[in-house]
Amino acid sequence: MNIEKGKISSSQILFLLAGFVQGSVLLIDFTVGITQQQTWMVILAGLVITAPFILSYVALAKRFNGMNLVQINDMVYGRFLGKVLSAYYIFFLSMTLSFNILDIGELYVNFLMPDTPFIFLLAVFATVCAYAASKGIEALARVSHLFVVTEIFIIVSTFILLIDQMDFSNFLPLFELPFIKIFQGIHILSAIPYGETLVFLMIMGRLNNTGRMVKYTFGGLLIGAMSLFIVSIRNTAILGKTQTIWTSASFQSIRLIDIGTVLTRMDFLIGVAQTVLIFFKCSLFFYALVTALSQLFGLKSYLPLILPLAGIEVILAATVFQSPVDHAMITQNAGIIYSAPLMYVFPPLTLLIAKIRNLPGQERGGGR
Amino acid sequence: MREKTGMKIAVIVLCIFMVFALSGCLGGREINDLEIVIGIGVDKDEKTGNVLVTAQIVRKQAAGSSPGSDGGGDEKAFWNVSSVGGSIFEAVRQMTHKTGNRLFVSHNQVVIFGNDVAAEGLQSYIDFFLRAREMRPTVLILVAEGRASDVMDAKPETEKFPAMNIAKLVKTYGFTSHLYKVNMKDFASCLMSATTASFAPLISVTEDEGSKDVYVPGMAVFKNGKMVGKLNHDEVRGVLWVLGKVKSGVITVPSPDGKGKAVLEILETKSKAMPEIKDGKIIIHVMVEEDLSLSEQTTAENLATVSAFGEIQDASEEVVRQEIMAAFKKTSELKADIFGFGEMLHKKYSKEWKSMKDNWDDIYPTIELDIVVASRVVTSNLLRNPPSPKEGDK
Repeated sequence: MNIEKGKISSSQILFLLAGFVQGSVLLIDFTVGITQQQTWMVILAGLVITAPFILSYVALAKRFNGMNLVQINDMVYGRFLGKVLSAYYIFFLSMTLSFNILDIGELYVNFLMPDTPFIFLLAVFATVCAYAASKGIEALARVSHLFVVTEIFIIVSTFILLIDQMDFSNFLPLFELPFIKIFQGIHILSAIPYGETLVFLMIMGRLNNTGRMVKYTFGGLLIGAMSLFIVSIRNTAILGKTQTIWTSASFQSIRLIDIGTVLTRMDFLIGVAQTVLIFFKCSLFFYALVTALSQLFGLKSYLPLILPLAGIEVILAATVFQSPVDHAMITQNAGIIYSAPLMYVFPPLTLLIAKIRNLPGQERGGGR
Repeated sequence: MREKTGMKIAVIVLCIFMVFALSGCLGGREINDLEIVIGIGVDKDEKTGNVLVTAQIVRKQAAGSSPGSDGGGDEKAFWNVSSVGGSIFEAVRQMTHKTGNRLFVSHNQVVIFGNDVAAEGLQSYIDFFLRAREMRPTVLILVAEGRASDVMDAKPETEKFPAMNIAKLVKTYGFTSHLYKVNMKDFASCLMSATTASFAPLISVTEDEGSKDVYVPGMAVFKNGKMVGKLNHDEVRGVLWVLGKVKSGVITVPSPDGKGKAVLEILETKSKAMPEIKDGKIIIHVMVEEDLSLSEQTTAENLATVSAFGEIQDASEEVVRQEIMAAFKKTSELKADIFGFGEMLHKKYSKEWKSMKDNWDDIYPTIELDIVVASRVVTSNLLRNPPSPKEGDK
């Protein structure tokens, strides 16, 4: 019944998750305008608050060993309701994927290749993601640690190159903003880098053994969160008040690197890191999306869906928002609302129902 | 089998297509088509009241040849193009009517604002320099005492480009600490603060027997983006002592015997400013530590003695204190919080700050400064005694 044969080991989950969370490094900019110098706290608070929910994803994957989200939904909620819920998840996956493809497009058009046609950048990027997804989760898992290490290297090296310009009094006063703003910041951050890890419900079913999964999941989450944390510390310490005005605070702080007028213009570092990581994140999303969709329709293989879906995603990404202003506005306000039930309500609820109904019961391991 | 071959062909075609589109050459601009801008001046057009932008463009042929070899020593290596527009961007694009190419501002070193523009307020002029893609946040800001276009016309003796020369003047502020380099990001940061005033180096042209030189006479003080006053060299150093930005410089004090001067070089400094609210009064504790060297003396008495060092140190501490007080007095008159004391209070006393924020202009002059300076003369350089007859030989 499973549409994919690939298997990953539980230690690979660590790097998959770390890379996935790191892929959202530039997205902390959605929060910076709201939480200003307190962004670093929000990153940590978001992690703490989201942790129990992610634990519920892991518990689900462990309980329904070898099954993916669509199969779990079918089993727990019945054929009809389960399919409706799965469709909701698929809607979320496809929207978020298109937003992420759009992110990379905006990054390129704004900073790296301003004259290249936008749609072309999106199309090529989506094609590469589609290719990666067609190779299956095993291939992605095998290269994940390379991506994670590259990103850590870039984050740490830019931090060191900028250390002489940092002003740590930019973090003061520590508690100034009204609670409602902090709350909004925490919501955005718990939804975007952390909550989106629900795509792993489509991936964890491929684990060859579920032992020590909690440990590896949280290890990966922690590496990702630390990367976000260091980036936000760097941006605030360097840019201070101005961090809220730039389109991309990370880019702007890297542009300030000036070591003896020789080591300057290091923008490409962020370009490289982000391309690689958003690619990784999008590929995981893409993989989750195609497998969920083909599972929903009961296909034997997910491969035929890849190209049409890539096309749809590109068109979505190109047309869904008029401008980055629109994009930020919707993500900050609407995006985190419609995705909230999927992250915070359904996984624990599914777990609860499964416990009460004693699922998957005797027929453990099967998706019937 | 057929399907596979079709797929392969599709992939190959796609790859070839990608090579063309993704090589980054789509926005490529050849170097001979670039108008490389190294400095920008912003003035008000006297006739229309619009913005007059002057861009200093590198003349590639003239710049490439080594001086003397071309025979035409008078040939300028730069070209100052100016154009008028309703806004900076408009004026910059208008310039293509003269240059034929878009300006390439990625290598821009300085942006100089004319006196009239600075007095009107930079808030309405600075946005383009922060927003434009090619602009770097490290571009230096200066204010011309007269018109920016005049400053950019003054051909330096040793450098080929006036803009490069001006950038060099500012970047080497550390030799005297009589000015400070301010870049776009720093300036924007001060603009965003409700209370902190910002400053930018002034630049003026001095004319001496027909040859023009540029000179930095001090710094312009901005309040809410508008130039409200000027600081002279000593006052600027007074500010830098508090901000901890003094790198080096010269302090001259009378020699202990009163017959000459002791001239000291600042080797290393450390400083710290801590705000305190005591009985409703704001006190700023400023602690400055400096290491000095005896670099010159104009008296015959040997100053390299423990007792003379002690007196010189005391005198130099007084000089620092007076510089800080002079800066504070001047900025109090201007009601411009150039030290960022307001932000310091905001960071340390965020609750009390809320009530102070709105009438900070009136509070600022009432601040009490508690200045503690500790100086050490650590070396007398190459001389142990001055080249003068010893006491007994006279």
